[in-house]
Amino acid sequence: MILDVIKNTNLTGDIWEMELTGPMLVKPIRPGQFINIRVGESHEHVLRRPISIGAVDRDTPSLTIVFRVVGSGTKWLSEREVGDQLDALGPLGRGFPLPKEGARVLIVGGGVGVPPLYELAREVRKLTEQVDIILGFGSGSDCFWEDEFRQLGRVRVATEDGSSGIKGYVTDAIPNDQIWDYLYTCGPKPMLRALKQHFDKVPIKGYVSLEEHMACGVGACHGCTCHTADFQETKRICKDGPVFSWEEVAL
Amino acid sequence: MSHTTNKPNLAVELAGLHLKNPVMPASGCFGFGREYGEYYHLNQLGAVVVKATTLHPRLGNPTPRVTEVTGGMLNAIGLANPGVDKVLSSELPWLAERNVPIIVNAAGDTVDEYCEVVRRISNSGLAQAIELNVSCPNVELGGLAFGVEPRILKDLVAAVRKHCSIPLFVKLSPNVTSIQDLALAAEDGGADGISLINTLIGMKIDLKTRKPVLANKRGGLSGPAVKPVAVRMVYEVAQVVQLPIIGMGGIYSGEDAVEFIMAGAAAVMVGTANFTNPYACLQIIKEIEEFMVREGIKDLEEIRGCAL
Repeated sequence: MILDVIKNTNLTGDIWEMELTGPMLVKPIRPGQFINIRVGESHEHVLRRPISIGAVDRDTPSLTIVFRVVGSGTKWLSEREVGDQLDALGPLGRGFPLPKEGARVLIVGGGVGVPPLYELAREVRKLTEQVDIILGFGSGSDCFWEDEFRQLGRVRVATEDGSSGIKGYVTDAIPNDQIWDYLYTCGPKPMLRALKQHFDKVPIKGYVSLEEHMACGVGACHGCTCHTADFQETKRICKDGPVFSWEEVAL
Repeated sequence: MSHTTNKPNLAVELAGLHLKNPVMPASGCFGFGREYGEYYHLNQLGAVVVKATTLHPRLGNPTPRVTEVTGGMLNAIGLANPGVDKVLSSELPWLAERNVPIIVNAAGDTVDEYCEVVRRISNSGLAQAIELNVSCPNVELGGLAFGVEPRILKDLVAAVRKHCSIPLFVKLSPNVTSIQDLALAAEDGGADGISLINTLIGMKIDLKTRKPVLANKRGGLSGPAVKPVAVRMVYEVAQVVQLPIIGMGGIYSGEDAVEFIMAGAAAVMVGTANFTNPYACLQIIKEIEEFMVREGIKDLEEIRGCAL
């Protein structure tokens, strides 16, 4: 499916924000779903790059993705200009289930795990006003979309070097005097594990969005699997996920 | 003006199987068909080759299992599959309704396991052929262990043959000294056809962690990077066996497929290209037809093995 690039800008450091439009926007898109983008013009790159959908604008209509340049494929993506076209599949995967109306919701994102939580926060905000958001980054210069999140809930930022917000990890920024009905999170595995441990004894519905090296992106190759919590089965992150209840999978 | 009578004939006969065209997805790259069935009608394919099936369920290797390399990819999935009984009860009935020939790839850790898997698949009536996997580089037991020593391969094929009442293909590994010796061993054992190549064993190191990217460390290389090796091996096998050959390895276009046919393949399998483009098989079928029209070829038989 062809998507037209309508914006591609450097957010900070090696993080880019790209806005895309095309016929994909007529489909329903759930927060937490991703698109799988073909990179390069030759056969140098045989695998698509799976990237979470960060925001959906139904009026334009457009969708926004945020990606980090980690290799020659994402570098190629960062060099696309307005008017260029991309070949993308999607929306793919299973997104976040939304909370009950009026529920107390905590959203925690780390690094490039933050973007899909923005579209989620927008949907959540339509259902409840009690939204707490914690964003974790390496350093203040890595932060992005903080102002956008502030429109949607109470935001706390944690940075490892303390250059912005609280010094430490996202778990250090969780207020101890509050409880929530739902936790939604996306970010590095150690962060997801720390969160699960933090809320170990608390009745909270937790949903995690997982990442893994992917090949097909549609559930056929079993490249991106994770174990179920009992280690008896595997789930395909691209097709059964990327969002799972944290009771369901081994972190 | 084109006339239907001038339409080239893409159909092929493969060890008694009638395929409407020579293109089928390669085992492991197409699941059991459901996922790509969301993209197009599977009955447009020559056949569907499903994921390697073993006697017992297998969860597969730890992740990362896949990574890209220049012009290809490495995988170490580790034969993840729900086991033969579940495959027969939950996967193949759905695929059988798609009106496309089904080839089941069968793998095992021991000769007895291979025989039992093959027997159950053959007796189910759900598969039109079996592809014996003696070439998986990503598991400790079985797989490749049966595919590198001609005597061992011949004995395995002969043992399995007794339990198989449908056409039996043997999929060969390129990770051997003489592909011809293995192809001849499969033929001696009673195979109805040879498919090749499985992946080449490779490795990629992560410069940041300074360790192999794949959890399994080694993985199978596939994609455009392996195509010349695959064409050469199909050519060499075609020189010595009488059996029909299914060629594969880095096929991304109709012209790539034609190269394999000229090297002696009766049909081709498409693997990694499905990941790059979910419609790859359909595009390749169309491009083979376009090539035939352009070159005035009426039937693929005219060019099969012409390079030999």
